[in-house]
Amino acid sequence: MKRLLYALGWLLFATMLCQCSDSDNDNPPIDPVEVPQGLFVVNAGNYNASNASLSFYDPVGNGYDNEIFAKINGYKLGDTAQSMSIHNDTGWIVVNNSHIIYVIDLKTMREKGRITGITSPRYICFLSDEKAYVSSMYSDQLTIINPKTYSIIGSVTVPKNTAISGHTGSTEEMVVIGKYLYVTCWSYEKTIVKIDTSTDKVVATLEVGLQPASLVKDRNGKLWTICDGGYEGSPVGYEAPVLCRIDPEQMTVEARYPFSKGDYTSKLRINGTGDQLYWLNNGAPYRMNISDTELPATTAFDTKESYFYALTIDPENNDIYLADAIDYQQAGIVYRYSATGKCLVSFYVGVIPTEFCWNK
Amino acid sequence: MKKLLHTLLLLLIIGAVHAQEGIDSLIAIDEVAVVGRRPMKQIGVQCTKFDSVALKEHIALSMADVLTYNSSVFVKSYGRATLSTVAFRGTSPSHTQVLWNGMKLNSPMLGMTDFSMIPSYFIDEASLLHGSSSVSETGGGLGGAVKLSTRPKEYDGFHLQFVQGVGSFETFDEYLHLGYGNERWQLSTRLVYATSPNDYKFVNRDKKLNIYDENHNIVSQYHPTERNRNGAFKDFHALQEIYYRLTDRDRLSLTAWYTASNRELPMISTSYAEDEEIENRQREETLRALLGWEHIAAKGRLAAQAGYIHSWSAYDRRVTHGGNASEENDGGLPDGTMEYSRNHLNTLYGRFSGEYLPSEKWLFSAEVTAHHHLSRARGKEVIDSDGTHRAGFKEDRTELTATATARWRALPWLGLGLTLREELYDDALSPLIPALFVDGELIRGGKLVLKGSLSRNYRYPTLNDLYFQPGGNPDLKPEKGWSYDVGLDLKLGSGKPLALSGSLAWFDSRIEDWILWYPKAMGYYTPENVKEVHSYGIEVELTPSWRPSKDWLVELHTSYAWTPSLNVGDPFSSADQSVGKQLPYVPEHSASATLRLGWRRWELGYKWCAYSERYTLSSNGSTITGTLEGYALSNLTLGHTLHLRWCDLSLRGAVNNLLDKEYITVLSRPMPGINYELFIGITPKWGKKRH
Repeated sequence: MKRLLYALGWLLFATMLCQCSDSDNDNPPIDPVEVPQGLFVVNAGNYNASNASLSFYDPVGNGYDNEIFAKINGYKLGDTAQSMSIHNDTGWIVVNNSHIIYVIDLKTMREKGRITGITSPRYICFLSDEKAYVSSMYSDQLTIINPKTYSIIGSVTVPKNTAISGHTGSTEEMVVIGKYLYVTCWSYEKTIVKIDTSTDKVVATLEVGLQPASLVKDRNGKLWTICDGGYEGSPVGYEAPVLCRIDPEQMTVEARYPFSKGDYTSKLRINGTGDQLYWLNNGAPYRMNISDTELPATTAFDTKESYFYALTIDPENNDIYLADAIDYQQAGIVYRYSATGKCLVSFYVGVIPTEFCWNK
Repeated sequence: MKKLLHTLLLLLIIGAVHAQEGIDSLIAIDEVAVVGRRPMKQIGVQCTKFDSVALKEHIALSMADVLTYNSSVFVKSYGRATLSTVAFRGTSPSHTQVLWNGMKLNSPMLGMTDFSMIPSYFIDEASLLHGSSSVSETGGGLGGAVKLSTRPKEYDGFHLQFVQGVGSFETFDEYLHLGYGNERWQLSTRLVYATSPNDYKFVNRDKKLNIYDENHNIVSQYHPTERNRNGAFKDFHALQEIYYRLTDRDRLSLTAWYTASNRELPMISTSYAEDEEIENRQREETLRALLGWEHIAAKGRLAAQAGYIHSWSAYDRRVTHGGNASEENDGGLPDGTMEYSRNHLNTLYGRFSGEYLPSEKWLFSAEVTAHHHLSRARGKEVIDSDGTHRAGFKEDRTELTATATARWRALPWLGLGLTLREELYDDALSPLIPALFVDGELIRGGKLVLKGSLSRNYRYPTLNDLYFQPGGNPDLKPEKGWSYDVGLDLKLGSGKPLALSGSLAWFDSRIEDWILWYPKAMGYYTPENVKEVHSYGIEVELTPSWRPSKDWLVELHTSYAWTPSLNVGDPFSSADQSVGKQLPYVPEHSASATLRLGWRRWELGYKWCAYSERYTLSSNGSTITGTLEGYALSNLTLGHTLHLRWCDLSLRGAVNNLLDKEYITVLSRPMPGINYELFIGITPKWGKKRH
């Protein structure tokens, strides 16, 4: 009976599926449990509305399903989901304003465990089966957890570097290189910190620019970040966004590619081979080779008239996925483009699609 | 113990004061029996009046409750003492203008009014002016206006009343009314104090807790029964009124209303934070003072008012470890601050109005008003060595309005009205705002009247819309609206044992350049003139009453509204699914009913309200969180007054959510189940007889 209901549900969603190309293609309904690989879409939902949700898309069969967490587990994902990471056969969904990290079994999509007690969790980065780090938007504490026991085992104090009173400090995206963990300090901050994971102490701090958020590692082992520059009237100031290449060993900025003031940059991502950077500027996708010496003058390709909010690249075939939150009060839409910029398919997801997570 | 002290204090006061007034009869008497001709002021006007029984039902009620159960206006709130806003004729909260003794209560920064901040015991007269009908009173009421007034009593000597309320969840309400009056003076002091941890229990359907085995495998899960966390409130209100009769024709008045409110914002149902981990608190202190002069002449009336509003409000969300929100010291904020805002507002207000009735056929009225707002909004700030760079804004605004209305009883059965209005916001002059009113008696004596109105209206952006940091958009245009309505008014058997009154109206309105905040750039919201909304529908009210004998009263008040309110603007993109859809949080159907049975000094009241499903998404998507189920609620009250030798004692019990319905009005905010309140009122009657 339940299966039948699911099937009906998928059918319904399949009929809602919208093609961005004119060709009429039936998108088969899918059961995310039966599709071994695919793309998760984390939909943040509206703040304080607890309408965050998880969507799943099968790039091979083109099927998708929405609200999979709530449908399978029988309770809401929560308020303001921020990110999802995969470790072994588990998916770790960080739900910021519910102050929880749900762990789901990727074979069943059922909850396996949870971690609570973190102030404002944003991203999770795995070091090993028994150690992972969780960043917090409103805290100078980077939380250390044991993924095996779903427990908090410690924390690293990440120093605050701006003098706003009442400021909590903030940590955002993370990358592990060898025994070091690199963390961007985003909200009202301006640094990237390097943490020795054997001692869990900050060993170096690098000032890059106002509000570095994203962090990726390229094929040469260099780190890249985009500082969004804050906003007009921000207590810590407002400057032009800048793309930075960082030498993680020396903790120096090797190259800076400044944008114009008024540009709004976000979601720096890198392809599977680590040689092409992608980001969003004023809602449009841009692409740059890591060897390029200047910022691209034009968008990566022509897109539908949309203001994109999230971006990811298929690590295997370089297809680009762009999410549009539309008016931020309805189901957002994800467009899948080929590397050459051909719009292949589109599908509606949940409210404010904010992050992607590949299960490959 | 505290309550005992209260009682002792009360007894002392009673001993000291010669009070004399008996309690008002529980059976309401129509304020004005309409005989023959309808008042000129009502020509073409769609108005819902709340009677004093609804307003004074018990002391724990706010205007939000009165609107919920006595009109078809949808009140959006998430429990007692939480932000309560209205959707009037399918519009947004800032499209309902609220006037208190003629002065605007809408926050010039936020645009809306929080009806939970208005104790209904402070209001002596309240009415709803639907759509166009608000234009004669105020601008910007694209949905309509709520008109609230206090009125002088007619005391002769001292009056004292004290009411103590005790309710579920350790809720305490206290009300003290002191009055004094003679031929020239009328003085009144009203105090209301309400406190509660408001930690009602509910089954949390949005969460499950896990039961693990020894290897940390989940063996079962269940919906926990939780308490409403962080929902405590402490609200204090004081209302001082002084009226002085200068001559037979001139009256001076001073009314001052002070509010001090300290409310926690309850945690959302999906939060797994510990209670003491997060502080989420809103505080407000507001003083509104009005000095008025009124002159009544044989053929008209003149009035002048000067007013002042001071308002301070604070919002804090921060990580705590059990501590309370501390005030900032040395310009610094408490540690762990996530969100912080301090709003200061000073408003100077002036109004001059006049009415002239040259003959029975004409009524002319005109008024000019001035509001000058000095606002200061402050968020997180930076402290540099070279001075303090504040985040926020400091802006002034002057709002001037001029209104002229002519009403003409062209034929004994036909009335016409025209209002012209101009508004000047700083240096932005509105186009002429006209409103036309027509009114024709179908059955003589006002028994059945056909009426209609048509208006154009504007609403100016709020100070936050324009200047908020970050996101404020100084380039916003005012919202523009066109609206008309036609309807029937029925009034049969007025003043007779069996009476029936009612109304039926069709309305249609369009609002262009609707201001909507949305996160255009990542990180913060910004407002833009993006939407166009078409709302239309039907409003029905029916009030049959039966007074078979002097001892008995049976009265039923019902209202119903059907309000499609559709987004008809341009799509954001080709993927936008919101065009042609109902606005979020506007129910298509809403209804309310109150039944009152009175027998001598007993009164039984039954209140009911019902709303159809509301969408939480602009696309009306039917996801798990996309629709909120419709619901109906019932409340029951029983009251009795005892005449003792030295006082009148009133006892009243209320059962809220009688059927213990699990429901939510706002996503992720479960509401309380069945709960109880008991009120004991004492009105000493020592001293002189009432005149």
